[in-house]
Amino acid sequence: MLIKRLSGYATLTCLVILAAGCGPKKVPPGLVYCSEGNPESFNPQLVTSGTTVDATSQQIYSSLIDYDGKSAQIVPSLASRWQISDDELTYTFTLRDNVSFHQSSTFTPTRYFNADDVLFSFNRIIDPLHPFHLVSKTGYPFFQSIGFDKQINQIEKISDNEVAFHLNTPDASFLSNLASGFAVILSQEYAEVLAKREQKAQIDRLPIGTGPFQLNKYVKNEYIRYHRNEQYWRALPKSELLVFDITPKSTSRLAKLITGDCSVSALPKAGELEVVLAHDELEIDSQPGFNVAFWAFNTQKPPFDDMRVRRALAHAVDRENILRAVYQKTAVKATGLLPPMSWAYSENKPIINYDPQEARRLLKEAGITELTIDIWAMPVARIYNPNALKAAELIQADLANIDVEVNIISYDWSVFNQKLSQRDYDSVLIGWTADNSDPDNFFTPILSCASVTSSSNRSRWCHPDLDLILAQARATTDREERKNFYQAAEAIFASKLPMLPLAHATKLAFKHKGVNEMKLTPFGGISFTGTETSETTTTQEEALQ
Amino acid sequence: MARYLLRRLNLFLATSLVLFAVLFIVTSQFPVEQRFALTGIQSPSAEQIAQIEADYKLNSGKFNQFIAYLQQRLGGNLGISATSQRPVADELASVLPASFELAAVAGFLALAFGLPLGILASLSRHKVTQHTIMAITLTGYSIPVFWLGLTLSLWFGVQLGWLPISGRLNLLYEIEPVTGFILIDTLISSSPYSTSAFLDALLHIILPAVTLAVLPFTVVVRITRAAMISIMEQTYIKAAEARGLHTSRIVLRHALPNALIPVIKNLGLMLGTFASYAIVVEVIFSWPGVGAWLVSGIYQRDYTAIQGGVLAVALIIIFLSIMIEVLHTTMNPLSRKELYASN
Repeated sequence: MLIKRLSGYATLTCLVILAAGCGPKKVPPGLVYCSEGNPESFNPQLVTSGTTVDATSQQIYSSLIDYDGKSAQIVPSLASRWQISDDELTYTFTLRDNVSFHQSSTFTPTRYFNADDVLFSFNRIIDPLHPFHLVSKTGYPFFQSIGFDKQINQIEKISDNEVAFHLNTPDASFLSNLASGFAVILSQEYAEVLAKREQKAQIDRLPIGTGPFQLNKYVKNEYIRYHRNEQYWRALPKSELLVFDITPKSTSRLAKLITGDCSVSALPKAGELEVVLAHDELEIDSQPGFNVAFWAFNTQKPPFDDMRVRRALAHAVDRENILRAVYQKTAVKATGLLPPMSWAYSENKPIINYDPQEARRLLKEAGITELTIDIWAMPVARIYNPNALKAAELIQADLANIDVEVNIISYDWSVFNQKLSQRDYDSVLIGWTADNSDPDNFFTPILSCASVTSSSNRSRWCHPDLDLILAQARATTDREERKNFYQAAEAIFASKLPMLPLAHATKLAFKHKGVNEMKLTPFGGISFTGTETSETTTTQEEALQ
Repeated sequence: MARYLLRRLNLFLATSLVLFAVLFIVTSQFPVEQRFALTGIQSPSAEQIAQIEADYKLNSGKFNQFIAYLQQRLGGNLGISATSQRPVADELASVLPASFELAAVAGFLALAFGLPLGILASLSRHKVTQHTIMAITLTGYSIPVFWLGLTLSLWFGVQLGWLPISGRLNLLYEIEPVTGFILIDTLISSSPYSTSAFLDALLHIILPAVTLAVLPFTVVVRITRAAMISIMEQTYIKAAEARGLHTSRIVLRHALPNALIPVIKNLGLMLGTFASYAIVVEVIFSWPGVGAWLVSGIYQRDYTAIQGGVLAVALIIIFLSIMIEVLHTTMNPLSRKELYASN
């Protein structure tokens, strides 16, 4: 009898505990995004890494203009209108009124956004004597790689809400570059306050912007927490709270998504698609990717300065196999740098075929008998390559067939980037995600001579002919003509082969059904505002064509 | 007794000194510039270089350098982390409580379930019960912790969806760290979500704590059982039985205190293993403690963080081992006798 009563109590207690533990819990409204790594900085001007752009560009900041993926057009953002002079050398932007910057514990804005902020944001990049220019230890890689400082003659403040950019030469990609995630607007007033406090470096660490979210707290390796910017100048985002849960391992991200710790998860590995399909509450978002994954050879380091060696190595790699194993049907094979989605793309013949015999012959011809090379493989998943380590292993196996030995080298992502910029690598498996729709974005930032110094040119390859063609392509606004130029550029690329393009991957994200705030864009960072950026007001892309 | 304590203190200091010496030598062997390995400052300015050289006496002999190194480290200057640019001491202070919390909950689970089960196993005359308990503990003892952690998270997290498998708290809860112990912080927080946050934290700690508790639990069961069996044969227990005392009283009052002595001793011996298991568990469950922090520091080639982490973990283990030994001596009259005899 006693035992019975006791066990009755026990059951009751268990039930109470269970009810308390598993009952509906109150969770603050918000969105958790499982991101793949630590941002290097909180200012996208200073980086080229997509992780940082994801965490900052669309969240903390706004740009003058935006690119709308749906209509494939440039749309207004902080600039409500713009005009292009007839000689295409002057771009005049009319700025939006009543846009306020974030207010933080260390800074309270006293004025709205105006022309001074635009001048500050861009002069910081182009003027080496600007007091904030040298605050960045890493330079301004994106802008250096496209030669932004040479492109712009002067930025002129016409009035508080009008700014004119005077260019040196006509440039068809100028607006697209301004619409990229790197060209964000900082607060000049904040910079002044920091300069007075002698804390200039804080401008990139404790960011102040005009974006939909404001940085609240960043704990390295753990999370970034944003609060909604209640003063946001567009429609307020739905979620009051946005958290980036930093989870480098892809499987952990998937697990967190399944257990509900995350609502959205980035950069899945291809093999995980089936797992998500098996869960009813999850769904997959996809966007044809505007990107290219490649294997870049350091062409300034022997033996990779020899074109025959590069061709030999490229011949030895079975790219079909990589496509199958690494991407599992979520990518298309690259025939050049431009993805099929780009308007300058045309169906080329395969850039190089799989032919180990030819590879051996070329190596012999180049007089190389014993070759050991390092392949640096990114430790994190990127859109263009979800699993660089696996790709490196496949290449390692392929090259073993032609008696080339491969060491695979990998570091944590931030260290990896740092070490890469020290320029001492043999070859690296990496890639490029376009920042805007302009085909120029696939060449100038990663293959021009200017990009060698900014170290976004992973092959460290400088070819004056190519630079000339790219300059010509930028100088005209006729699409057909430009397309021909870019095809010529592709031809030079294919003949010299400074890097082996592998694939154009589909952009994927996993999310819980019913999470509608997230928007996958073909370019640049991820957005969580849940509102469309396209405002069907005056779009002036026509003026460009 | 005072003399004994002094000797233990001496042991602590000597071991720590050896630890510092090892760290000092290792630091000079890191494949980076020594200044960077010591301070974590990537590209120091001229003044900073002068400051570093003065602080660490880099221009004088190795011995002086070691003394300067000791002074800096003991003064709390562990350098700054190369990746986050924050002082390593601050980072340690923010990750250590998480590890202590996990270890405390795991230790509590191991003792709370291990002791009764060990006693039960020793008292049971039933062969099947005894063998079942011993089989379970032997299995638990042999399971590799990383496999156990992954399997538990696969079952309870991914397949059943009952328990969260990573982190300490759903990140949507904004809880200000006061003590660093999330279970306490959520309770004392003034957030309107305080109670649900506490429950969420409780759910989050279950899987990592259970995984970490399995090894000490099995050890506790086995040692308790062995100790109890030998003690229950002792004449003073027979005498107590003869006096007609109730079994529960005999066990709790007379046998258990003596049986605890070897348990404590073995727990002390296990600290090192326990710490390395904790590191594995923290990595598996993304538990933001010192272990996960140290591992990420290693991946990021963050030399100051590696030194700081190794120093902190090793010092804690040395300190706790000595404390457990002291506790063992105070609880165990026999070893006190040995102590006096040897003095």
